[in-house]
Amino acid sequence: MAEDIKADITMDLKGMKCPLPVVKVSQQVKKMRVGQVLVAETTDPGAHADFPAWAKTSGNEIVSTVREGDVSKFFIKKLK
Amino acid sequence: MDNEKRKELIGLMKTRLTRPMRYYLDLCTRCGLCYDTCHVFYGIPKKEYSPVGRAEVVRRIFKKYLRPSGKLFPFWGDSKEIDDHSMDELLDAAFSCTACRRCMVHCPFAIDTPFLLGIAKSLLIGNESAPDELSILADGAVEKGKSIDEFKDGFREVIKDLEKEVAVKLGGVPPEGLIPMDKAGADILFVGLSGAHSIVHPAVILNSAGANWTLSWFEAVNFGAFLGDPRKMDFIANRIINEAKALGVKEVVIVECGTAYRIPKYLMGPQPFKVSSIVEVIHRFLSEGKIKLNEKTITDPVTYHDPCQLGRNGGVYEEPREILSALAADFRDMTPNRKYNWCCGGGGGLVALDNEEFRIKSGKAKYDQIVATGAKIVVSACENCIFQLDTIKAGYSMDVEMKSLTELVAENLA
Repeated sequence: MAEDIKADITMDLKGMKCPLPVVKVSQQVKKMRVGQVLVAETTDPGAHADFPAWAKTSGNEIVSTVREGDVSKFFIKKLK
Repeated sequence: MDNEKRKELIGLMKTRLTRPMRYYLDLCTRCGLCYDTCHVFYGIPKKEYSPVGRAEVVRRIFKKYLRPSGKLFPFWGDSKEIDDHSMDELLDAAFSCTACRRCMVHCPFAIDTPFLLGIAKSLLIGNESAPDELSILADGAVEKGKSIDEFKDGFREVIKDLEKEVAVKLGGVPPEGLIPMDKAGADILFVGLSGAHSIVHPAVILNSAGANWTLSWFEAVNFGAFLGDPRKMDFIANRIINEAKALGVKEVVIVECGTAYRIPKYLMGPQPFKVSSIVEVIHRFLSEGKIKLNEKTITDPVTYHDPCQLGRNGGVYEEPREILSALAADFRDMTPNRKYNWCCGGGGGLVALDNEEFRIKSGKAKYDQIVATGAKIVVSACENCIFQLDTIKAGYSMDVEMKSLTELVAENLA
């Protein structure tokens, strides 16, 4: 599934301290066009709840989540 | 700003003004003793970055709408209307303050300026001009509280991987159950942050001590408090309080995060469990002989930064120093310290904002303090502070290492 998604931007958020991952993703998504996809790479376990919760409140969509070792990749599509 | 919005904001201000706030607003004599106590004024010596300068922004609006002199003689004195300009001033006042309360301990009347700035934050929320970053983080935390069941599987899967990391750090023990979740009847509910480091190091210590513990589904930090929204703050804190009650734990242990500790400890009323910082718990484990340290193994000079919410506003001063004195051969306290310690400049949610240049300048007092100790390792017990200390390190090209106390303990267990 994830290999079919074309990522427009990739962000390396690995090892960042609280609360930067969500802030950085939010700032990046604001700069993107509707329909573009951001891949956020993180090692934060909390991101598995933080990113979906942020997506719900901001009206965006996590179209896929992939785990590669200790890195999680969130494919985030800008919807509005 | 139209009149309708202005009326709405005046009404909001009236509902938010408490008696202590009115007392503080009336009592200040503008003696100016607070100027030199603020780390922001130390780094950026402008009146608007002094405690009284910030409070004046609120006081002028208060005078305009709630004092007869401001209503009858608005041209006399310094009353100020709520308009776009005053909203900008309120934003700068509220979010240049880290709520460290160093000004309060020096004020002859103990005026709590961060408390007064709660009015500024309420007006900013009412005007929809509060910082986006904090609104997003607070809204996300609220949503997480409402929909946690949807997110549990993903979180639990990553925690299983972290158990393997903890197992390696514990010398190759089986990983299963090293980070328990949803464990009813556990003695301790540990509340971490989003990052793996905030869970792995405490897990190593809690398991080494043989504690009967369980990990919270939620992050400890409270962005509702930083935003200045009491309803969101309560909701975010109650996620953890309700979880602790449901599990029947005896103690809620908060990760290294000053505000996350202070809110359930002091601001949420009596609870059927004890609230402790991980620093207090480590100290207790050491006192009871449940864990042991490789003593005096750190030979480089070490100093400790008191997080304002854990120290000045939380009363945890001696535990971290006793732990560090055991670990380090050369522990050096900063001057001043404890109650009078300088804030690093990262609190109040400021590290979430796009303000690095401001934070480097406002971190000058902390930079000077660290340099004066000659320490090569700076330890703290708050993720916000360590984040800001790293910013200061980069901003002033410092040759020091910033470390978390919990991490240092986990790395030096005997």
